[in-house]
Amino acid sequence: MKNRFWILGMAILAIVLGIGSSSRTFAAPADAQSASETAVKIDNFSFSPATVTVPVGTTVRWTNRDDIPHTIVSDDKTFKSKALDTDEQFTYTFTKPGTYSYFCGLHPKMTAKVVVQ
Amino acid sequence: MKETNHRKLAKIEVQDEILHDHNHDGIDRRGFLKCMAWAGTGAFCVIKGGVLSSYSLGRLPEFGKHAAKGELSFVQISDSHMGFDKAANPDVVGTLKAAVDKINALPVPPAFILHTGDISHLSKPEEFDTVDQLLKAASAKDVFFVPGEHDVLNDEGKQYLDRYGKGSQGAGWYSFDKKDVHFVGLVNVMNLKAGGLGSLGREQLEWLEKDVKHLSKSRPIVVFAHIPLWSVYPEWGWATDDSGQALSYLKGFGSVTVLNGHIHQTMQKVEGNITFHTATSTAFPQPKPGEAPSPGPLKVPAEQLRTLLGITDVNYVQGRHALAVTDTDLV
Repeated sequence: MKNRFWILGMAILAIVLGIGSSSRTFAAPADAQSASETAVKIDNFSFSPATVTVPVGTTVRWTNRDDIPHTIVSDDKTFKSKALDTDEQFTYTFTKPGTYSYFCGLHPKMTAKVVVQ
Repeated sequence: MKETNHRKLAKIEVQDEILHDHNHDGIDRRGFLKCMAWAGTGAFCVIKGGVLSSYSLGRLPEFGKHAAKGELSFVQISDSHMGFDKAANPDVVGTLKAAVDKINALPVPPAFILHTGDISHLSKPEEFDTVDQLLKAASAKDVFFVPGEHDVLNDEGKQYLDRYGKGSQGAGWYSFDKKDVHFVGLVNVMNLKAGGLGSLGREQLEWLEKDVKHLSKSRPIVVFAHIPLWSVYPEWGWATDDSGQALSYLKGFGSVTVLNGHIHQTMQKVEGNITFHTATSTAFPQPKPGEAPSPGPLKVPAEQLRTLLGITDVNYVQGRHALAVTDTDLV
C-alpha cells in the first residue's frame, strides 16, 4: 500500500515537472495546443502548399525563399506580415475554425489559403 | 559608342490595324513602326516636317547635336532597387553610378530625370538616401519620382510621401508642364487586391480625368507610372487592372507617350495615338514573359549584366507628334 502511494506520488510529480518544463520551452503561445506547427514555403512567386488544412491552434510558419520580398496578407486583413526579405519568416496561430484566403500584398497574383478545422 | 553596345531586348508588338494614318497627321504609321522597331536595336527617331528619320545610335556623333536636338530632352531611369545584394547583381550602387555616367554622356543634356519606381529594394531610409546621393552627380538636377511597390513597404507609403510627395495628391500622383508637354505621374502600386494587378483606384482616375480635360488636344502628354499601363503579361502581374479607364481619358490627344518600369526590360507597343514603352532596370534584369518559372531576378554571366541594364532617353520636337524614345545600355 505504502509502495503504491509512493509510485503514484512520483508519477504526479513527473507530470507536474513535465508540464512545467514544456511551458518553459513553448513560452510564447498561451494555448497549449499551439505546439503544432505547419510550414508554408514561398518560392518562385508562389505559396507552397497553396492550401494547408490544419486543426485549431496550429501555428503556420511562412518562409520566403525568393530573392524578392513578399508579404502575407489575409483577404479580410485578419493577419498581415511585414515585407519578408530572403529567408525571413512570419508566423500566425489560428485559434478559430474557418477558411483564411491570403495573398502577397506586393504580387497579388500570389494567392493561397489556410483551412482551419 | 559602338553600335553593338546598344543591343536591346525590345519586343515590338505590331497589329495591322494600326498601320494607317488614323489621325490624318501626315505621319506614315508604317514608317513610324519600322522606326520604333529600330529603336529596340539602338536607333534614334526624330520627326521633322512630318517625315520620320531614324539614325543608328552608333552613327549619332556624325549627325552631331543638330540632328538629335529636340525642343525637350529628358531621361527615364527605373528600378534601381537600392539595397538588393543577391547574385543577380551584388553591386546595384555601381550600376546606378554607371547609369548616371550614361546620362551625363548623352549628346543632348536632358532637362530632368523621371524615376519610374522601385527606387529602394526594402523601403529602408538608407536605401533612399543612397539613391538621392548618387543622383546628385547627374547633369540634370530635377528628378521626378513615382513609387514602385518596393518603395511603400510596411507603412502604406508614408515615408515615400514624406520624401518625394511634396505637392502631390493622394498616394503621390501629380502633373506638371515642361515646354508644351504635359507630364502626369501616376501611382498604381497601392491597395492591391488579392488576385489582382496594378491598381490606380477611383480617386486617382477622377483626378486624372479632371487634370487632362481642359488641355488642348494638340498638347503632347507623357504619362509615367511604375507597373505597365498596358497588358504586358498579366500572368506575372505585369499590367494594371483599371488602366483602360485612364487611357480612355487620353484618347482624343494627338500624342500620348506612356513610360513604365517594373518589368526590368524594354518593350514597346504603338496603339493609335499612344506609344507604350517600358524601361530597363539599373539593378538587375528579369526574364522575358513566360520564359522562366517566375519573374524573379534573372542571373546572367557578369559580363552580360550591363548589356541588360540601361537608361531611356526621350526627345520631343515642338510641333511634331510622336516623342523619340531611345534605350541605351550600361556597357
